[in-house]
Amino acid sequence: MENNTQIPTPTHRLDMHGEPCPYPAIKTLEALRSIGDDDILEIISDCPQSINNIPIDVRNHGFKVLHIDTSTPSVRYFVKR
Amino acid sequence: MNFLEDVKKYLVSFWQPVPAVIALGVLSVYYFGITGTYWAVTGEFTRWGGHALQLFGVDISEWGYFKIMHMDGNIFTRVDGVMIIGMFAGVMAAALWGNNVKWRIPASKIRIYQALIGGIIAGFGARLGMGCNLASLFTGIPQFSAHAWFFTFAMIVGVYLGVKVTQLPFFQSKVKLQKLSCGIDVQSDKSRDEGKVKRFFTFGTFIFLAMVLWAMYLIFIANSQKLGAAMLFGGAFGLIIAKAQICFTSAFRDLFTTGRSQMARAIVIGMVVSSIGVFSYILLGTPPKIMWAGPNAIIGGVLFGFGIVVAGACECGWMYRAAEGQTHFWIVGIGNVIGATLLAFVWDDISVPLATSWPKINLLESFGNYGGLFFNYLLLFLLFLLVLKLEKNYLKKLKGNTNYGK
Repeated sequence: MENNTQIPTPTHRLDMHGEPCPYPAIKTLEALRSIGDDDILEIISDCPQSINNIPIDVRNHGFKVLHIDTSTPSVRYFVKR
Repeated sequence: MNFLEDVKKYLVSFWQPVPAVIALGVLSVYYFGITGTYWAVTGEFTRWGGHALQLFGVDISEWGYFKIMHMDGNIFTRVDGVMIIGMFAGVMAAALWGNNVKWRIPASKIRIYQALIGGIIAGFGARLGMGCNLASLFTGIPQFSAHAWFFTFAMIVGVYLGVKVTQLPFFQSKVKLQKLSCGIDVQSDKSRDEGKVKRFFTFGTFIFLAMVLWAMYLIFIANSQKLGAAMLFGGAFGLIIAKAQICFTSAFRDLFTTGRSQMARAIVIGMVVSSIGVFSYILLGTPPKIMWAGPNAIIGGVLFGFGIVVAGACECGWMYRAAEGQTHFWIVGIGNVIGATLLAFVWDDISVPLATSWPKINLLESFGNYGGLFFNYLLLFLLFLLVLKLEKNYLKKLKGNTNYGK
């Protein structure tokens, strides 16, 4: 996965701590529709299962996954429009 | 040293879900061949509920449901029991190896109620339908039991209803999108303690080895080969569902929430693989597990599908999440046992009209061996088409939406 690339600097953050799936994925898609083309969104989810939904949903809906950091119990996703 | 580092890297990282589900399908076939039963968890949860009632002095010897479930022995002497011990060891090892263990508190009170109520509804529905996503879907359909098909299609309806409810504004996440100022240090909120990560990894290895040694003891010293094998299978099931984050709940739910079909397709492919394996064992003489194909499977399926979506996880999904320290899913687990026990409580009043007066339909008997095999594959093919259709419908609707991304 995109684990070894440089961590991008986010312009927006969704802190989804404590929220179980599917809410992190749903919120991510909502947020992506509301930000600008140059913005980078960071999503923090402590539901590790999000690893099987956020990246795929982001791509399926026509957005880009820049980086995924799985080194801590809270997974961090960096995505853009 | 490098080799060991590579092995470690593999144990730390997440695994790909699609090959993992297929591996689960293959393993569940061998599990059936070796132990004569299918991979299932809720039956044992029901027995735990029974034991809890016994602890409080309740005489359950006349409860019909506990008679069906065979309460004899305990968690250490039953195939299902030691399999679940193995599963817990597997999910704990996986969570510790991957540095995924953290105390997690639900974001709001609503989620706590959702977990408990959803867990109870799912536990009740699963036992009414004689199995959860395993015995009435993933491992039930390959047994050629018609009840599993009734349950599965009803469950998809329940999942749809559950999605509608959990998407109501009241249940939506209240999290706000934060705008960050330029030059913010993105590393600052990273709390990775290398010493802790190392200790967790060692602890995970210890748990896994202890489980393997226990299984070896059962096989070679205690002369309980079946129990030892069940424990090893449980360990493998647990390890795989946790490392690949296999969520049976998400499979059909997310067809309706975000239009993702990956897990649903993987589950159908897993069942295609395991059907032929189970078929070969049945031809060799192992009797399949067939359950009543009556209203119980349909009502149970709808309730179960609704419950798992509200709760956020099914009966094996909460197990690995609980091991990760997600307190939300401890509540789901407790809800499951309560729901299953409630079903046992009302069973004697509802069993005749809803379940036991209906036939146990074995597709291999109804259509002949190869006719039944063909029919099962035809239904699996139709299920696959349904999954693709639901995904397509979702994306089509999305394209009509002006907010759609590029």
